[in-house]
Amino acid sequence: MSARETYLLDRCKLEDSHTLAVYRANGGYKALEKVLKGGMGWAEVIEEVKASGLRGRGGAGFPTGLKWSFMPDPAKDPRTRYMAVNADESEPGTCKDRVLLREDPHGLVEGCLIAAYAMRLDAVYIYVRGEYRKPYDRVQAAIDEARAAGLVGANVMGTDFSCEIHMHKGAGAYICGEETGLMESLEGKRGHPRPKPPFPAGFGLWGQPTTVNNVESIFNVPFILDRGAQWFRSLGTEASPGNFLCGISGHVAKPGVYEVALGTPARQILDELAGGVWKGRQLKAWFPGGSSTGLLPASLIDTPMDHDSIKGIGSMFGTGAMIMLDETACTVRASQVLARFYDHESCGQCSQCREGTQWLHQIFRRIEEGRGTMADIDNLERLARGMAPGKTICALADAAAIPTLAALKHFRHELVEHVERGCCPFKKGGASAAPAAAEVHA
Amino acid sequence: MAFPEKLRAELEQLCTKYPDRKAGLIPALHRCQEELGGWISPEIMEACAEFFGMEPVEVYGVASFYPMFKLKPTGKHVIGVCHNISCDLRGADDVIEHVCKRTGAPVGGNSPDGKFTVEVLECQGACANAPMFDLDGTYHEDLTPEKIDAILGGLS
Amino acid sequence: MTKITVDGRELEADPKKPLIAACHEHGVDVPHYCYHAGLTPVGSCRMCQVEVEEGGRPARVAAACRTPVSEGMVVNTAGERAHAARRECLEFLLKNHPLDCPICDKAGECKLQDYSYAEGQAEGHSAEPRRKLEKRKDLGDVIVLDQERCILCSRCVRFFEEVTGQAQLCIAGRGAHSWVDSYGGRPLHGNYQGNIADLCPVGALTLKQFRFQARVWNLRKRASTCGECSRGCAISVEVLRQGEVKRIRPRYDADVNRWWMCDHGRFAFEGATLEGRLAGARARGYAGLEDVPVDDAVATVRDAYATHAKHVFVASPWLTVEEGAALAALARGLGAELLLVSPPESALKDDLLHTGDPGPNRRGLTELGCAARDAAGCREALAGAETATLVGERVVDLVGREELAALPAQVRLFVLDTKPFEAPAVRVALGVPDWVERSGHWVNVDGHRGPIAAARPAPAGVRPTLQLLGELGAAAAAEGGAR
Repeated sequence: MSARETYLLDRCKLEDSHTLAVYRANGGYKALEKVLKGGMGWAEVIEEVKASGLRGRGGAGFPTGLKWSFMPDPAKDPRTRYMAVNADESEPGTCKDRVLLREDPHGLVEGCLIAAYAMRLDAVYIYVRGEYRKPYDRVQAAIDEARAAGLVGANVMGTDFSCEIHMHKGAGAYICGEETGLMESLEGKRGHPRPKPPFPAGFGLWGQPTTVNNVESIFNVPFILDRGAQWFRSLGTEASPGNFLCGISGHVAKPGVYEVALGTPARQILDELAGGVWKGRQLKAWFPGGSSTGLLPASLIDTPMDHDSIKGIGSMFGTGAMIMLDETACTVRASQVLARFYDHESCGQCSQCREGTQWLHQIFRRIEEGRGTMADIDNLERLARGMAPGKTICALADAAAIPTLAALKHFRHELVEHVERGCCPFKKGGASAAPAAAEVHA
Repeated sequence: MAFPEKLRAELEQLCTKYPDRKAGLIPALHRCQEELGGWISPEIMEACAEFFGMEPVEVYGVASFYPMFKLKPTGKHVIGVCHNISCDLRGADDVIEHVCKRTGAPVGGNSPDGKFTVEVLECQGACANAPMFDLDGTYHEDLTPEKIDAILGGLS
Repeated sequence: MTKITVDGRELEADPKKPLIAACHEHGVDVPHYCYHAGLTPVGSCRMCQVEVEEGGRPARVAAACRTPVSEGMVVNTAGERAHAARRECLEFLLKNHPLDCPICDKAGECKLQDYSYAEGQAEGHSAEPRRKLEKRKDLGDVIVLDQERCILCSRCVRFFEEVTGQAQLCIAGRGAHSWVDSYGGRPLHGNYQGNIADLCPVGALTLKQFRFQARVWNLRKRASTCGECSRGCAISVEVLRQGEVKRIRPRYDADVNRWWMCDHGRFAFEGATLEGRLAGARARGYAGLEDVPVDDAVATVRDAYATHAKHVFVASPWLTVEEGAALAALARGLGAELLLVSPPESALKDDLLHTGDPGPNRRGLTELGCAARDAAGCREALAGAETATLVGERVVDLVGREELAALPAQVRLFVLDTKPFEAPAVRVALGVPDWVERSGHWVNVDGHRGPIAAARPAPAGVRPTLQLLGELGAAAAAEGGAR
């Protein structure tokens, strides 16, 4: 662990890391120069990203280079082309993009420019969740600085490559992190995900070819172009190369955002970086990659943190945001909190998701408050299976169903215990005194 | 209501970022809420509708989808406490209780003196620094009762 | 066209339309709520899930309203997986839907009811309280909204945006915490509000006019044509047991009105009552107009036709082509002038359906040789005639009730209208059926021939217009003409 190579957060540790001067002094815009002035064709850039094996860091883990290659050939399709950078980070437990936006915004800007060159984009929109005010301002300032330095706008670095980068602000909707919900929101509408097909590469923003990429994915691009796909592949695993930003939160001694090679065992991240479970307690449960990946028991903590390994234990790598629950935590309470979240965030288009997320929330709340029945437990499973997989326009229903099924699979005994005792056994005093979350929604 | 000239000019500028003017609606609602009283009043919705060439009902549909837009008047200070999983595991409930007691505002409501609005929020992306709240657009993280007292005590 | 197989049947499908349209056009019912052929599909209710096999991949369950057809696609609408998906969908839709069917006007034609019966499960699993929202939200003169019954299909929202071009409703809020609303409680406006009650798949949007008026299974429906303008929208006239018209709804006609109609036409039947009607005949005797047997009145008119030479006929634009043909034959036989009274343009004219011409059969009647004149033109013609016969419902009002009343007694006025008219010049008045009591055809502004159908009997003693015209000499004239 001591010899591990880092790159993602290296600049963030420097003073004034968000400024152009510091960025440039530390190798910034070198990759862009290599691409623009080193005679690299756009196809070569895409090939290099493909060769690197970079997988999207927003949750799905889709290969970035492959996604880029879906954009139609401008020779055959002369429409305007866009990229939307997904900086709507709102998967519970996930707080990594915020660090990059705030501390190293030029890294994102350079990545956008290279992506724009490779995909021959006309403009890039960076969709930042509305609550991230400081990160928004930092990226905006970086764009302004870069523009003044001839790096954004017309004739970047004096070449005939031009690209506009615009900032856009969301307003508090998890669903706008879904790529088509994001596009609807960016167009000024309610963030209702669009049915696919058509896919964004054919029909995206304003009906034009569009690619949607996560902040961290784009942030990796300049490093790949600068140091080469082979270097990138020397980090991480064969199927999941590179480092990733692991936000680790919950019951740990040192929560934080750490840079880790993909494939690092979860226990190593927990113990060596996050200082282990807090207060000398034992681990009970954990989420590997944000709330939507579902709870896992402590027994699986030795699993390597990469897409295939986590998939192998029946979960998902997601955003790589680990949330830790110690032995005193209540998994029913955790399930209730998350069910409330999905209830709050469902856009409401699809019947199963709209009604199902509310229903799951209501049942988990009753069980946590000691008013549940055994029939409720069976109902949770039936409902979750009625909502997913793939039964709705987008994956939010799946995101609500997965943690429900995971809780049933690994922690059914806690649900049963709540029902049998008629209270939450983990609550101080044991009585059910949880605040009625109904008010929260009104 | 007509927008103040300076704001109108800013909104016009903002819309030039997009091939379709309507894309400026959400950023414009943010600016209106910031500049014109802290909430999206019917006057703002109507002015935005006119500005964007939409019907007020369309603006209402959009504004009500996004919880950052307040459709009722808020207190002078708005405190949004995150109570999603990472914050919940590190005492968000205690923060909510403390903030409510300290400000006199109920969850989802305003304090009797109109100074505070307290609301609970879903994940704010500050999970590694839980618990947290957002006070008037600024994150305050790694909260403790003492820290909360110091922050709230310093407010006018 | 694309060849697909649905439930074992090979069909030709329009590649520009979604799979559900191909199914519906070939008579295969695919349950649905948010989908409507006249609106942009949104794919949100998820009720139209069917099993789809294409491209050699294993069958998947997909929403038919957002699935494009592809050559060789194999669709199973009745497979167990499709049924299961719809059953699940229904359970979620019913979770917050109030069980107030016994007092809901939609009961009997409610898609939630129908599909629950066909596909759903008998027992519910929800122990949760249902959503509390506004149960009687007044949306203006036409519509009442019950937000609790709403299943958020957004058809009404899309109707205003897409069909009328002006948004009036929205979905406010988010997820299970959302509702259909107007802006600030504003009432709906415009001439097309009623359509959203037809579009609503449940009883969330109901017509004020129809609220608690009838159970729909007691309504007899007759395919007919709207008579309120020259568009001639295809309609269904719905009559309760005793012959009372309770409701009019648009009937799909691809060439005329598609799925829609205007409120003016929808509620016009409220004027088509049995009250104040002229039943039988009135003729001038010593003491003025008095009730006489219809046969006597007809004889009086025929005598007048035989004794005088200068005749004028004025047709109402509500006459059918069949009635118009008889009238034309009669006029021709008498060498009479045949006019069509042309109403002034209506302020309701719009770009969607209303033509602004309040007469439904102007085109059909002018093609039969009626010369269109405005009211003044008609009056001028009949003032110079020895006999003047006004034929058809509303004809007195269109020519000018007051002006006709001021005509000197030497003009021999014969009136065939639905309502009584007493004036010095009137010699005979004969009651005729109105447009919900007659059958025949109207020809609309574009030359489209639409049927009108008798939905209720005319008041006792009223003879069909066509019969009266025959008795007045049209039958003989037509035979003479044929010879």
